[in-house]
Amino acid sequence: MIVLSDVLILAAILFCISVAGIFINRKNVIILLMCIELMLLSVNMNFIAFSHFLHDINGQVFVFFILTVAAAESAIGLAILVVLFRNRQTINVDDLDTMKG
Amino acid sequence: MFEQIIYYIFAGLLIFSASMVITVRNPVMAALFLVLSFFSSAAIWLLLEAEFLAIALVLVYVGAVMVLFLFVVMMLDVNLAPLREGFARYLPVGVTVAVLMMIAMGLVVSSSYFKSDEISAPVTLGPGYSNTTELGQALYTDYLYPFEIAGAILLVAIIAAISLTTRKPRSTKAQQPALQVQVRKEDRIKIIKMEAEKQ
Amino acid sequence: MILQSDIVLLLPEITLLSLACAVLIIDTFSRDPLRNVTYLLGQLSLLITAILVIYLYPDETTYAFGNSFVSDSMSTVLKAVICVITFVVFLYSHDYLKKHEWMKGEYFVLGLFAVLGMMVMVSAYSLLIVYLGLELLSLSLYAMVAMHRESQSASEAAMKYFVLGSMASGMLLYGISILYGVTGSLELDALAIQISEHSEHGILLVFGLVFVIVGIAFKLGAVPFHMWIPDVYQGAPTSVTLFISSAPKIAAFAMAIRLLVNGMHPLLGDWQEILIILSVLSMATGNIIAISQSNIKRMLAYSTIAHIGFLLLGLLSGSQEGFAAAMFYVITYALMSTGAFGIVILLSRRGFESDNLDDIKGLAERNPWFAFIMLILMFSLTGAPPFLGFWAKWFVLKEVVASGYVWLAAVAVLFAIIGAYYYIRIVKLMYFDKPETMTAIKASQQMRFALSINGLALLIIGLMPGLLMSLCITALVQ
Repeated sequence: MIVLSDVLILAAILFCISVAGIFINRKNVIILLMCIELMLLSVNMNFIAFSHFLHDINGQVFVFFILTVAAAESAIGLAILVVLFRNRQTINVDDLDTMKG
Repeated sequence: MFEQIIYYIFAGLLIFSASMVITVRNPVMAALFLVLSFFSSAAIWLLLEAEFLAIALVLVYVGAVMVLFLFVVMMLDVNLAPLREGFARYLPVGVTVAVLMMIAMGLVVSSSYFKSDEISAPVTLGPGYSNTTELGQALYTDYLYPFEIAGAILLVAIIAAISLTTRKPRSTKAQQPALQVQVRKEDRIKIIKMEAEKQ
Repeated sequence: MILQSDIVLLLPEITLLSLACAVLIIDTFSRDPLRNVTYLLGQLSLLITAILVIYLYPDETTYAFGNSFVSDSMSTVLKAVICVITFVVFLYSHDYLKKHEWMKGEYFVLGLFAVLGMMVMVSAYSLLIVYLGLELLSLSLYAMVAMHRESQSASEAAMKYFVLGSMASGMLLYGISILYGVTGSLELDALAIQISEHSEHGILLVFGLVFVIVGIAFKLGAVPFHMWIPDVYQGAPTSVTLFISSAPKIAAFAMAIRLLVNGMHPLLGDWQEILIILSVLSMATGNIIAISQSNIKRMLAYSTIAHIGFLLLGLLSGSQEGFAAAMFYVITYALMSTGAFGIVILLSRRGFESDNLDDIKGLAERNPWFAFIMLILMFSLTGAPPFLGFWAKWFVLKEVVASGYVWLAAVAVLFAIIGAYYYIRIVKLMYFDKPETMTAIKASQQMRFALSINGLALLIIGLMPGLLMSLCITALVQ
């Protein structure tokens, strides 16, 4: 049998991988967007595990909404990325230093 | 026992592919590994009896969102070399933070409460049980209000994506012979009568 | 079950959504390059919504949609204030967009959707609704920041805002998932009951709480989750900065009240301690770094961070009166910030943002009246009596002392005094320095009028703060 804490630990590992990814790939915006997707995936994993073990459908409904919002979010993120690229011909975050202070 | 083996196979695959997403050099490869991690999570969700969401994850995420990612990656034609410069520099920090976080989160999450029998009771749902029906029933009755808000969120995404990325169609310079033939003298030449200026 | 009374309670939101869609369609077919119709209809929608909100003022707290929507005095007051402030923001923005010639109908449409998101947040009584409202607001704001497509700094700012904002939403969601796992409930009332019953799992609950607070602190912009504020404020077009710095702060305050007070009151002791740290760090960082800024927008960004520190003081005092003081503070702050960025917009010209400290030099010679308005705004931001900003600080400090944190009040006063330096410096630049240009200020009549009202309001309400305070008290003390 799968135990609840097994799934929770898996989700926590996934969450930490995504945080590490955000730290490591500071320069590459596309990978940053993917890390955010991973982070939401780990949250979804948590909700589904709880929903399964608590016999409560509400957790799954929450995941449904997170999936919807995440799709909208990535659409906007990619749109901003395209605007940024057209302006600067790069997606390197390090070049994004016109503002300092 | 069988369930457990399947679970560990897919969990391992998920962790492997997620780590590849954040470490590979090429964004296209990263996107493909992200697809793999979505697939393995979908498998785990099936084990957890969330059938509808597992299918939705594959159809919506792998089918639409990841394809969108790939489109953008291909379209932007990004120069990859400078994007990797900071990688080695940030790697130790990133890994340290992640490991520390993992230890803290792991300790909390694996607390005895989540292992106890009371919460981990085996679930048996009959063959007549339909996850989709139950989800749909909850969604369209109790969750009507959030459902409407989600609609508004999608509308905002559409407006934003369109207004940020559309460009005015470039004025093309194609010839239209039909119009050229029909041109009459009056369309091109205008004869103005004016008084001669006095010196 | 959905009842008719549920729909009636939701009427302002439904109306705003329908009007926003109508404005969107009309804008699509409008050929007017100045977008006057879109702008006027947007303003009209805000007014109608505000009137509906006030008309539906509930005598008692009422719940709808299976306890996921609440209508109480606080939600009514905050929704009305959000509509009014957005009205002023749209007015200033219209001037800005006209001056800088990138008038776009989507700006107002997305603004309306952002207001809808804020209203949803203010009335949210379930973790799911809080999240959805927050996302509706944030997604609209990300798009608005990036909307000036030719501006490099705007798209940079949008990207930073987007990445950090999505990360914060992820953190918030992780916290929500843990809370759901321990308590099995998403409604805030049930959550509070379950939390007090499950007190033996304190560590798990605090674990979830920490992630939720990270999410809230990010949206408010408290140190150490403030990284986005200076860059976004400086990089975004001034009209968008103006919007971000005003009404969404009120919504973030409402989110904090809903989650921490309505949902997690049994964990009061735990979140108090975390908020103390955030508050002291915010006041210190904001006030000290603001001194070294040469860009007005960036300086006001750090000043926002410092003000958020003060706002948190009101929240952490943990009493109903403390929350009322915090509400007073956030409304005051939104008014002051609208005015301050309004002045920056007023001074800007086509192709020139006028956001350097040098650009404000000698304003008193160029235009004595608006120099005076800016003087009121700066003194009010400092917290000098008799302006409204003083009373906001005073009420918060009183509650902090009443809840026994005398040292915290002393620290807050110290940082407020440090902060006075950079506000007074602006006054000095305006009155005692020679202007670098004598270009005439170009602004529409209604902009001048609204800005004057905005500035004078701080003085007039400041002379009789009891009215607004009693409004806040009735909103929060049941």
